[in-house]
Amino acid sequence: MANRTDRLSAQRISARTILQSRLFTYRTRQQVWGLLFALPAVTLFAVFAIYPIIQTFYISFFDYDLVNTPDYVGMGNYETIFDSPIFINSIRFTFVYAFGTYIPTLILALILALTLNARLPFRGFWRMMNFIPVVISWVVVSVVWKLMFHRNGLFNAGLDSLGLMTPDWLLSTNYAPFAIIIPSIWKELGFYMVIFLAGLQNIPNVYYEASKIDGASSLQSFRFITVPLLRPTIALAIVISLIEGLKVFIPPFVMTQGGPAGTTRVMALIIYQTAFANGRFGRASAMAVILFLIILSITLIQNRLYGTRRDIY
Amino acid sequence: MTKRFAQVQNPLQIALLIGIIIQTMVMMVPLAYMLSTSFKAQNEVFLLPIRWIPAELLVENYTTPLEERPFLRWFFNSAFVATSSTILVVLTSALAGYSFAKFKYPGRDFLFWTILATMMIPLEAMIVPLFILVRDLGWLNTYQGLIIPAGGSAFGIFLMRQHMLAMPDELIEAARIDGASEVGIFWRIVLPVNQPALSALGIFAFMWNWNSFLYPLLVANRDEMRTLPIGLASFESAYSTNYPQLMAVSVLAILPVLLVFFVLQNKFIESMALTGVKG
Repeated sequence: MANRTDRLSAQRISARTILQSRLFTYRTRQQVWGLLFALPAVTLFAVFAIYPIIQTFYISFFDYDLVNTPDYVGMGNYETIFDSPIFINSIRFTFVYAFGTYIPTLILALILALTLNARLPFRGFWRMMNFIPVVISWVVVSVVWKLMFHRNGLFNAGLDSLGLMTPDWLLSTNYAPFAIIIPSIWKELGFYMVIFLAGLQNIPNVYYEASKIDGASSLQSFRFITVPLLRPTIALAIVISLIEGLKVFIPPFVMTQGGPAGTTRVMALIIYQTAFANGRFGRASAMAVILFLIILSITLIQNRLYGTRRDIY
Repeated sequence: MTKRFAQVQNPLQIALLIGIIIQTMVMMVPLAYMLSTSFKAQNEVFLLPIRWIPAELLVENYTTPLEERPFLRWFFNSAFVATSSTILVVLTSALAGYSFAKFKYPGRDFLFWTILATMMIPLEAMIVPLFILVRDLGWLNTYQGLIIPAGGSAFGIFLMRQHMLAMPDELIEAARIDGASEVGIFWRIVLPVNQPALSALGIFAFMWNWNSFLYPLLVANRDEMRTLPIGLASFESAYSTNYPQLMAVSVLAILPVLLVFFVLQNKFIESMALTGVKG
């Protein structure tokens, strides 16, 4: 009898250990599979994102031309770039571009989205037409608008027929910024229209129906339903567009090469030219660190103000 | 048609309709100008008043650049590079999203948040080390150099993880009990179930890669390895005064994208709205 109980409990114990060890190997196997599935992406990001950004900081402390051995210069590169009015101007113009492009873009896109959210004939068609510039590459946009802003191009032909003055847009320090900003508004309008339309469609219809029953005018329901419920979408649009604007490269690269006299030299362009035209890779890295810090701080401020992006989705 | 216009009931709607018609026409002016100029003779480009329909349609503007410069090669490079990196992006994002959503292992959340944090690093801020890295790998002017570094998307991983989180565990458990291998589960259950999100990511990644400029500008400087945007920009700086030819190649460059857009327009706009962020 005692013998039998012993045998039984022994069996039970061994069954449990087997079960546990199975469980253990199962869990380990799952951990290994999980890591394996993440491995391709993790490797790519370690090699092509994390490593380069650390290197950017590192190289920024050296005088480096890719050929001779790098010379450690401490904060030398940072002192040089902040002493240079060219770099300071470049930061200033980058912000002028970002705000100059995206404040009008967001306002126009919001008006457009509100219009195309109303019941209109061929609504889908108007939306589609306004979306076309979004799918056209920045290079083509820049090439076409460079001709539009040519001294004798379409823009001046139009101004001339109205009896207005016709500046040489791309060669004038006063007008070149507009020649970069106007095409950008044209290209980006449709994208933000879609973002706002998505935001508008996420507002449940019952709110509008309820307010109608309560006798609210359409202006009132706009003010007290649409505006507050669209706020997260607008906040998101402001942040993505600001960051997008600070990273601009193609329009000035194609249309003006940063000219005339450096008026349209945005940060990405001055980094590119300092590195690949002047061979000053250390100095370019110091500029890149500044651009990175500006964008990072905007993202962090945004997280503070609006919560993380995850909440907005 | 009359039925559609019957929707218009009040003066506000009529005003909106007129407004939107004018606005859309203004938006189309640069494209019309591009198309019109692309058929003109050089001495007709700046003629006033503007001739929207050229006296003679010069088709040579389209054929001559294709003969003189390797546009077809650039087009092939763009198509090949964009397709390959899109496949890579979709695959690595789905794998990592699945791993971060449905597996438990030490360091998982650290890896996810680190990758997500790289969304704050603009490419523009790391062009110098990236160029040096690709050069040291011997990948300058190679397809792997153009494709592999563009094969991961932090946003794609985030998007896929969100969708995988919504997928019921029972689906995977049941397959496991039936003895399916982990790779089999991923291939035959996880991918098909998340197909809508994958195709949205695919469209988005393709457009992003097709229009990519700064990165290929750095790593492909040999003529035959350029992608279409880089080739077009180089053509622009070399032939900057031959406007009709310049506009003709611009038309050719946007034609494929526009065709795909018109076929898939709803998917396009949906994927834009869904993703909400650009690279």
